Amino acid sequence: MAEVTSIAGEDGNFEIQIIQKPRYIDMEKCTACGLCAEKCPKKVKDPYNEGIGLRKAAYVKYPQAVPLKYVIDKENCIYFVKGKCRACEKFCPNKAINFLDQPKNLTLKVGSVVLATGSRPYDPSGLEDLYQYRSNPNVLTSLEFERLLSASGPTQGHLKRLSDGKEPKKIAWFQCIGSRDTDHCGNGYCSSVCCMYAIKDAMMAKEHAKGELDCAIFNMDIRTFGKDYEKYYLRARDKAGVRFIKARVHSFDEIAGERDLHIRYADENGQTQEEFFDLVILSVGLQVPESSRDLARKLGVELDGYGFVKTPTFAPIETSRPGVYACGVLQGPKDIPGSVTEASAAACLAGGKLALARNTCTRILDLPEEIDVSSEEPRIGVYVCNCGINIAGVVDVAAAEEFARSLPNVVFARQNLFSCSQDSLDSMKESIREHRLNRIVVAACTPKTHEGMFMDTIQGCGLNKYLLEMANIRNQDSWVHSDNPREATDKARELIRMAVSRAGTLNQLQEKVITVNQRAVVIGGGVAGMNAALGLADQGYEVVLVEKEKQLGGMADRLTFTIEGDDVQAYLKGLVERVTTHPLIQVLTQALVVGFTGFQGNFTTELLVGPGPYQRKINHGVTLIATGASEYQPREYLYGQNEKVMTQVDLARHLKEKGAQDFNQVAMIQCVGSRNEENPNCSRICCQNAIKNALKIKNLNPEAEVFIFYRDIRTYGLLETYYKEAREKGVVFFRFDPERPPQVEQVGEDLVVNFRDPILDRNMQVKVDLLALSAGMVANDTEELASIVKLARTAEGYFMEAHVKLRPVDMATEGIFICGSAHSPKLMNETIAQAQAAASRATTFLSRKELTLSAVTAQVNADLCAACLICVRSCPYGVPKINTDGFSVIDEALCHGCGICAAECPAKAIELNWYEDDQLLCKIDTLLEGAL
Amino acid sequence: MRLGYPTSIKIIRVPCTGKVDALHIMRSFEKGADGVYLVGCREGDCHFERGNFRAKARVEQIRKILDAVGIGGHRLQMYNLSSSDGPMFARFAEEMHARILEAGPNPIRGAVIKQKKVQTDQNQIAGAAL
Amino acid sequence: MIVADKKPIEEIIDYVKDYQSILVLGCNECVTVCEVGGKKEVGLLASALRMHFLQQGGEVNIGERTLERQCDHEYLEEIRDNIDHYEAVVSIACGVGVQFTAEKYQTKPVYPGVNTLFMGANEARGVWSERCQGCGQCILAISGGICPVSRCAKRILNGPCGGSTAGKCEISKDIPCGWQLIIDRLKALGRMDDYEKINPIKNWSTERAGGPRKVIREDLKL
Repeated sequence: MAEVTSIAGEDGNFEIQIIQKPRYIDMEKCTACGLCAEKCPKKVKDPYNEGIGLRKAAYVKYPQAVPLKYVIDKENCIYFVKGKCRACEKFCPNKAINFLDQPKNLTLKVGSVVLATGSRPYDPSGLEDLYQYRSNPNVLTSLEFERLLSASGPTQGHLKRLSDGKEPKKIAWFQCIGSRDTDHCGNGYCSSVCCMYAIKDAMMAKEHAKGELDCAIFNMDIRTFGKDYEKYYLRARDKAGVRFIKARVHSFDEIAGERDLHIRYADENGQTQEEFFDLVILSVGLQVPESSRDLARKLGVELDGYGFVKTPTFAPIETSRPGVYACGVLQGPKDIPGSVTEASAAACLAGGKLALARNTCTRILDLPEEIDVSSEEPRIGVYVCNCGINIAGVVDVAAAEEFARSLPNVVFARQNLFSCSQDSLDSMKESIREHRLNRIVVAACTPKTHEGMFMDTIQGCGLNKYLLEMANIRNQDSWVHSDNPREATDKARELIRMAVSRAGTLNQLQEKVITVNQRAVVIGGGVAGMNAALGLADQGYEVVLVEKEKQLGGMADRLTFTIEGDDVQAYLKGLVERVTTHPLIQVLTQALVVGFTGFQGNFTTELLVGPGPYQRKINHGVTLIATGASEYQPREYLYGQNEKVMTQVDLARHLKEKGAQDFNQVAMIQCVGSRNEENPNCSRICCQNAIKNALKIKNLNPEAEVFIFYRDIRTYGLLETYYKEAREKGVVFFRFDPERPPQVEQVGEDLVVNFRDPILDRNMQVKVDLLALSAGMVANDTEELASIVKLARTAEGYFMEAHVKLRPVDMATEGIFICGSAHSPKLMNETIAQAQAAASRATTFLSRKELTLSAVTAQVNADLCAACLICVRSCPYGVPKINTDGFSVIDEALCHGCGICAAECPAKAIELNWYEDDQLLCKIDTLLEGAL
Repeated sequence: MRLGYPTSIKIIRVPCTGKVDALHIMRSFEKGADGVYLVGCREGDCHFERGNFRAKARVEQIRKILDAVGIGGHRLQMYNLSSSDGPMFARFAEEMHARILEAGPNPIRGAVIKQKKVQTDQNQIAGAAL
Repeated sequence: MIVADKKPIEEIIDYVKDYQSILVLGCNECVTVCEVGGKKEVGLLASALRMHFLQQGGEVNIGERTLERQCDHEYLEEIRDNIDHYEAVVSIACGVGVQFTAEKYQTKPVYPGVNTLFMGANEARGVWSERCQGCGQCILAISGGICPVSRCAKRILNGPCGGSTAGKCEISKDIPCGWQLIIDRLKALGRMDDYEKINPIKNWSTERAGGPRKVIREDLKL
C-alpha cells in the first residue's frame, strides 16, 4: 500500500520519499482471523479473480498474501461511502479497525534501488470489433481462464461457461492478442510467455474436463524456447491431443442464443475452414502499466518505445540511472524463471554496493541458556486457542481446555483469545516458567504458519524448540466442520489428546551449527563464470575461478557481435581484464576438477592444474557451476563437405572479417541439431542468430537475397522487432515441416536448396552462394564433473536446477549453484543476469559465518543396522554411506529430513528425529484408543 | 477455503508420504481404524523427489496383506494433490468417507464388539497428510 | 547371500491357526537384506497375524523378536527364557534358521514363514538372481568366472547345448544362456583357448547328490 513519490541523491546514497496509504486496520493487532470480512455486508467484484467472483469491502487479496493482514477498501466500504455501518469495528475481537487511519509519509535512506513493478496483461477491450471480449461472456482472457481453472478460484476449479454453466466441449485459444501486433495495439514485441501458458492451460483444461475436450491453439509460431519447454509442447500435441493450428483468426461470429463462437480461418494451404467453439480464450500479452512508466520517468530511468525499462546487453539489470536496477517484465517480457533469476541478479548488484554496510543494522537475539529436561518426567502445558471466533465460533474451547487438563502428564491448560498475539505469547512464557512446563502443546492453527513463532516463544523460556507440538483445531476442525459444532468439539478433543500423547514422547534435539568457509569456487571461465566470480568478489568474497582451457572466455571467444550490435570481443576483453585484476579473484586455467567432497559451507575441491600438472586442494563454502555449452557440429546438409556450408557462428565471423560482398543469394536453415529426435529441445538462440546475420548481410550488401527456412520463428520478447525489420528489409522466410525439410545438393560447382513452399504448395529450388546452418547448442561434456560433484543432469546433458521456477539457479544439493548455458541454451544478456543471480544466491550462504541446520535428520542405530544398502539406495540425495565398520551413517549436514530411509529400513535401524516411530505410533494408538 | 469434509477424518503429519512406514499403516488397522489414506504431492512433484512413489508402492504392498487377512485392501488408499488444491482435498476426504461407509466397520471391530458386547458408534479414519 | 521370498500369509495362518501364542522370529542377516525376514517384516507378519486372530475373536498372543542370526547357537540362546511363553514359532529366517531353531528347541513347533530360494546376488533393489548352488567343487576358474552349474539350466560343463538360441536359454527367452555368458566373458578376457579345453567329468559327490554335507575344520575346532 506504499508508493514511491520521489528519489533524490545518487548511486550508493539515495533518499526515497514514500507515501503509505491507510489500511484502516492496524497491522500490529490484526491476526487475519477474517471476522471483519465475514461480517462486512458489502460485496464487490473481486479484481484478483478478474472480476469473476466476489469479495467483501474488508478483505485480503488472496489467502497466501504477504503480509497476511486485512485491509478496508475505502472506495467500497459502506461506512466511508454512506457514513454508517462499522460492522467490522464492532466484531473485530482485537480492536484492530481504525477508521481514522491516515496516509503516512516515509523517508528512507538507501544505497541501491531495485525496480520490480512487473506488468499488466493486455486489455483486449480495444479489439471489441474483432473479438467481442466485452459483449460475449464466452470470450475470456487467458488470466480469467486461469482463475476458472484454479482450485482457489471462483468456481473452485470446475470448468464451466459463465454464460450458461455449460461444461465446454471445444475451446479455442487465440495467440498474440496484444503482442506481435503493430496494427491494432502497437505492441510490436512478443510477450514470450503466452505460447507456454496457453499449452499449459489447454493441458489443465483437459485434465479438469470430465469428458472429451477439444483444445485448439491458433498461432503464428509456437514459441516454446525455454528449458525443456519443447518437450512439453510435444507432449501436449502428441500425447494429450491439443491441436495447434497455424492461423491468425481475424474475427468471428456469435451464434445467437447459444452464444457459441463461429470461427472461420484460412489454413496453411489457404483453404477456408469453419469451426464452432464453446469458449474462446484470448492469450493476452504482457504490458508495462502506465503507473510504472510514470514511476520510471520520476526516477529518471530511460524507457524504450514500448515502455520497458532500457537495459544494456552486457549489463542486463542496470538502468540508465546508476544505482537503480530493474528486473522482471518491467524491463522486457519474460517468464517466471527469467524473472526470478533477474530478481536475484538485481539483489547481487544492489548487494555489491551495500557490501560495506553488511550486518551494520543487525540486532542480536538474546536467548536464555537451554534447560536440560531429558531426565524430567513430562510436564505438559496445553494452550487452546479461540482464534477469535475462528475456533471458538464452532468448537467449545472451554470444554476442550477442560478435557486437556484431564489428560496424563498435563499440568497446565489454558485458553487464549489469540495465541499468536504478543500478550498471549508473553503470558505463555510466564506460565511455562511458573509451572516448570517441559513440553508444550498449542491447539490452534496450522504449524505451517505458526510453528516457528511458538518455537521462538518456548526457546525464550529456555526450552528446546523441538519440545513443541501443535494440534490444528482450526484448519482441520472448526473451519471444515462448522456445520457440526458437537462433532467438531469431539474432534478437537481427539486432536488435543493425540498431540498431548506425542508431546510426552518428544526429546530435545540439538541443531548442528556449521561454520561457513567464506570462499567460492566457480567452475567454468566463460561469460557466466566470470560474471559470477565478479558478482561474488564485488561483494567482498574470495573466489577461485577454475577454467579447463588455457584462457578465459569460453564460447564467447568465438562470437563477434550481438543482434543489438554490441561488440562481443570488446566486452570480453574488458571482462577478462576486470576478472584477472580483481584482488579477490584467483584464476586457475588448465585446471580440471578431479575430486569433490563436503557439504554446504564446507566443500573441498581437488584440482589438477596445468601445465605441470600439479594437484591443488581448495576449501570453500559454495560452488558455482558455469561449464557452458557449445555450438552443435552439424552432420546434415553437406556441412564439412562443401565450403559454402557453414554454421551461423562461422558466418558471423566471416561477415566481420570478409564482409558480404561475395554473397548474392544466401540460404539459412533453422533447427539444425535442435527439435529433432536426438535433441528434442529448442536451442533458443538460433532464430535470432539467423536474423542477426541476415540483417548484417542486408546491411553490408543490400542487393543480396536471403532466404530463411524455419519451422517456427522464435524471436521472443523484444527480439521480435528484429524479425519485423528483417522482413521489411526483404529477408524471405519459408516455413517447412520437419517431415519435409529442405534438401541440399551439390550440382557441379553449384550449391542448390530444394524446398516446398507451403503457401504456393509446390516444390521450389534456389541456387545459393552460401548456406548458413542454424546449428543448435549442445551442453559441454560434463559427465565426469557431474559424477564427481554428484549433480543431476537432463537427458541432453544440461544441469538440473532444484526447481524450474522457484529456484532456477540453485542445484538440489545445498550450496551449489548453476548459471549460463550449462543450465540451458541462452543469450549473452540472459547468461550475465543468471551468473549474477547465482552469485546472489551463493551470497546468501557466504554472508553468514555460521549455518544452523534443522535437527530433523535421520539417525542410524549401528547395533541394528544390517548394512543392507537399502537406505543408500532409497535416499533421494545419496546421503547414507556404509562406513568401514560395516554400518550405515547419515551425515546430518547433508540429510534433507524426508524420512524415506527410516520408512524403508528392513532392520528398523533408522529413526527420523522428531518423527520417530514411537512419536507417530503413539498418535495412532491414542486416536484409536477405545475403537476395539 | 474452509470446505467441509467428514469429522471422521483425523490427520497425522509426516514430512513426506515416503516417511509413512508400512508398520504404521498395519498398526492403524490392527488398532481398529476403518480406513487409512495417504495424501501426498502430485506424482513428479514430490518435494523429496520420489517419496510419494515409495508411498504408493507401500500402499500396494499393504493392500495385499490386508486382503489376505480379510480386512480388505480397499480400506487403504493413496491420493495425490497439489498443496493449494483445497477442493481436491475435500473431495478425497468425502470419497474416502463414502468408501468406508460402504465397506462398513473394520471387521476386527465387528468381531471384538461381538465378543465384548459393547456398543460403539465411532467411525475412525486415520490419514496422513503433508 | 541366501535369497528367500515371501510365503503367502494364508499359508502361514493355516500352520498356526490353532495356537494361542506364537513367536514371530526374524533374522538380521540375509533375509533382512533381501527384505523378507528382518525386524520390519517381523512387525508386518505379526501385525497381520494379530489382525487375523482378532477377527476370529481369539485372544492370541503374538510375540516379535529378531535375532542377529538364527544359524548360531549363541544367538538362538537369547530366546531360551521366553520361548516357553509361546506354543509355536514362525521363523522368517532361511531354511537353515528354521531348522536350527527347531533343533535347538526340540519340543517347540517351528514353522517356516518364507520360501528359501537360492544363493544369489542383489542386482538392484528388489531384484535378486541365482549365482551359486554350493556344488562343493568350484570350477569358476576354468569358466571365466561364470558358473555353468548355476547359470546353465542343464548344468553342462563343455559348451552350450543345442537349445541355446540368440544367447538365450531354451527354457525361457528371459534367461541368458549360461554358456553364452561364459563364452562372451572368455572372449573379453582373451582366453578363448580355455573354451577349447575339455573339462573332465565333475565329481558330484560333494554336491547335494552325495547326501547331506558337513564341514569339519580341525584347525578351528579347538
